[in-house]
Amino acid sequence: MTKILFTDKLDSCVERWRSAGMTVIGPVQRANSSVYGAVKSASELDLNLVLTDRSIKELFFPQSEPMLRYAITKAEINTDEFLPPSGPRIIFGARACDASGLAIDDPLFGWDYKDEYWFQRRNESVIVTIACTKADEFCMCTSLKLSPDSTKGSDILLRPLENNKGWQVEELTDRGREAFKSVADLLQEGSDPAAATVTVPEKFNADACAEWLKNPENFESRFWKEISARCIGCGSCTYLCPTCHCFDIQDEGGSFEGIRRKNWDSCSFALFTMHTSGHNPRSTQSARWRQRIMHKFNYFPGKFSANSCSGCGRCTRECPVDMGITETLQEISKLSQ
Amino acid sequence: MSIEQQYRTRAKELLSAGEVKMVIGYGAGTTAERRRPLFITSPDETERLVLDSACIANLSGYLVTEGLLSDEKRVAVFLRPEGIRALNVLAAEAQLDPLQVVIIGFDLPKGELKALQGSSVDDFTALLGALKESTPDVDGRELLEKIEKMSPEERFAFWQEEFSKCIKCYACRQACPMCYCRRCIVDSNQPQWVNTSSHTLGNFEWNIVRAFHLSGRCVECGNCDRACPVNIPLRLINRKMAQEVLDSFNHFAGTSKTQEPVLASFKKDDSETFIL
Amino acid sequence: MKIVDRHDEAPGVRTMKLEFQDPADHELFKETYRTGMFGLYGVYGEGESTFCVASPETRKEYIECTFRESGRVTSALARADIGDLVTFRGPYGNRFPLEEFYGKNLLFIAGGIALPPTRSVIWSCLDQREKFGKVTIVYGARTVADLVYKHELEEWMQRDDVELVLAVDPGGESPDWKHRIGFVPTVLEEAAPSPDNCVAVLCGPPIMIKFTLISLKKLGFDESNVYTTLENRMKCGLGKCGRCNVGSIYVCKEGPVFTAEEVSRMPAADL
Repeated sequence: MTKILFTDKLDSCVERWRSAGMTVIGPVQRANSSVYGAVKSASELDLNLVLTDRSIKELFFPQSEPMLRYAITKAEINTDEFLPPSGPRIIFGARACDASGLAIDDPLFGWDYKDEYWFQRRNESVIVTIACTKADEFCMCTSLKLSPDSTKGSDILLRPLENNKGWQVEELTDRGREAFKSVADLLQEGSDPAAATVTVPEKFNADACAEWLKNPENFESRFWKEISARCIGCGSCTYLCPTCHCFDIQDEGGSFEGIRRKNWDSCSFALFTMHTSGHNPRSTQSARWRQRIMHKFNYFPGKFSANSCSGCGRCTRECPVDMGITETLQEISKLSQ
Repeated sequence: MSIEQQYRTRAKELLSAGEVKMVIGYGAGTTAERRRPLFITSPDETERLVLDSACIANLSGYLVTEGLLSDEKRVAVFLRPEGIRALNVLAAEAQLDPLQVVIIGFDLPKGELKALQGSSVDDFTALLGALKESTPDVDGRELLEKIEKMSPEERFAFWQEEFSKCIKCYACRQACPMCYCRRCIVDSNQPQWVNTSSHTLGNFEWNIVRAFHLSGRCVECGNCDRACPVNIPLRLINRKMAQEVLDSFNHFAGTSKTQEPVLASFKKDDSETFIL
Repeated sequence: MKIVDRHDEAPGVRTMKLEFQDPADHELFKETYRTGMFGLYGVYGEGESTFCVASPETRKEYIECTFRESGRVTSALARADIGDLVTFRGPYGNRFPLEEFYGKNLLFIAGGIALPPTRSVIWSCLDQREKFGKVTIVYGARTVADLVYKHELEEWMQRDDVELVLAVDPGGESPDWKHRIGFVPTVLEEAAPSPDNCVAVLCGPPIMIKFTLISLKKLGFDESNVYTTLENRMKCGLGKCGRCNVGSIYVCKEGPVFTAEEVSRMPAADL
């Protein structure tokens, strides 16, 4: 016997969570594009998507985050810090790749200096992941040793029932258990079988790629130029990526008052590493694409023990010139044979 | 012989004869429906070229890749009429020498592949002139008409919602053949003309600045629209601006390689005396 | 922090002396600052810019920084006057391991605007002169006008416990220039300091570093005894924003001070 959440009870759950002061967030359609957004009722949720266009990371690391307000007078400088908005949240209907993406970035935001903007939101969010019963050609979680029902980064895992009338509930963390305690009476014990999790074929051999990337001889390989020749240098792959985390700090306003913000930035942009002197360590697009791949599959794992990729496939799915991590690592897999 | 095969043969001949050093075309993509830009430099590789109704992207932007045409050697490129218009605009704005470009022309009227005769921009003058007279149909015409009927408030609300999605990845700019500036206005910080943040104000600033920069220059290839990862109907803005420029100045961007840029040229008898 | 003094070093290059406004901040600085560390200096409304603390760890009552006016932030800093407030975040990063230099001969090599980080180490050593052996300083700039810390160069020149070799690039000399003419690597090879029991500290633009390392090798210096600082673009200084990343290294956390041996293990093309 397992705990079951039937679809027709979901709206009551949403109501219950909301009345307990939680913000309920899930996959929704906004002006012809899908995102994780706040909802008032279950009917707003779009749980049939393979994946939202935009990743879950913006709920924790928004594209533009005010950090402080400054006001300057002749005598003094006054600053007010913006703290991350607080309050408990439940994210219902995350995908395993998105949830694992958050767990992948935790050590980055936590090493040495702890980023409170990230961790306050992390600590106040319950992540309810729904195992995938469908995938598309771009999904590649299994190539990253994850799966459509990975529990990494999730507090609750829901497995859709065969008849599509609800979900089996697996409580994974205390935070998840706590959130589901409040809706315990809306769940039922049952033996309804779960639908099969979708099979996502392995597209490349991540271990072999890691070995190839570690070899310093391959750093100057012609491969990098060839694979990235058509890259147009936009930042869409990095901005849609659940694990890419590079940012910029910008002051907006005048000389007397304004706001200092933390904004997404991208290693795809030529200006990202440009020195004031004009020297640019990564002056070509191929050097920038190499950095992105090396960072995700060599440098980051060396430091934080995981690939900085959870296999969501958004990089390829949305690439204007049909590039992406999948193709690059498939080619590297071939080279490393 | 299919058009695809004819064009593969032509590409092969051009490369074998040393007439061009590279062919920029389309290759198979990640999925059956996708095509991707392909750069062929060896006659042995021309079989990788694909040409069918999925070859929509305008490839002319690659022609201004730094250094590509600097050795005076020619490059062949697969272009639809919009791409040829883009090539003309780039030539008119002195970004390249169109004689260095061999056009492999094709069109996709109603999704049907059709070969276009000619190889130099001048060979297509009549075709482009005819396009001016019969405004090409754009995807989303219905939406455009709907927007036209809105009150200014409704229209503002519509674009506010659309722009609120913008993540400032600049895929629209990077995909646009007309956005070749070495340093885009948003990348300048002395002074900081445009807020880099992707909040509502910053997003409006960016998208409106871009619309103005493209007025009278946009060839409506749709690259921006297709590149946008959050599906903002960018092409509608440019379509509207193109219509305004056509109505006001009788200017249709990219009809010839010597066409004067409409908003960047001045005539002595110009009625707008404030310019001087 | 308040600007208590400022003066121009060379065309477009200025030194500011800054004092802490908050005693608690000052205490923290005194506890943490060691030579080699950097900070983010800023002006609200313009942003922050990264450069080293140019004052030595033996003088912590104030911070000195030297910068070239070149971008948005440095232009704003250059406009700031005595009495004005600017911001400082730091000190961040690692340091030169001075204890390991005890008892050894020291060779300092700097080019142009890279004397400030070197000068921090130089004074940190000269302020406890007895702990070190012979001190040699090789400093070159494009022209005589581009030499920074001219008054201190004069002072080092007078000291008999410091050997100072000054040079300007060919064509950069003035009619009364009495010192060397030539590029830093050449001048260094001519001066031919002994590598025995010697540690070298090398700061300069990437191209100078590249050729000076070759010269040092010729002179018999081991890469593990050559220290340098990497001046990457940074925003956060906290190992998060990704900008200063070279290979697996976050320069802001694991640097900016590295031995030439460590640098040689980084991907050269990304430096």
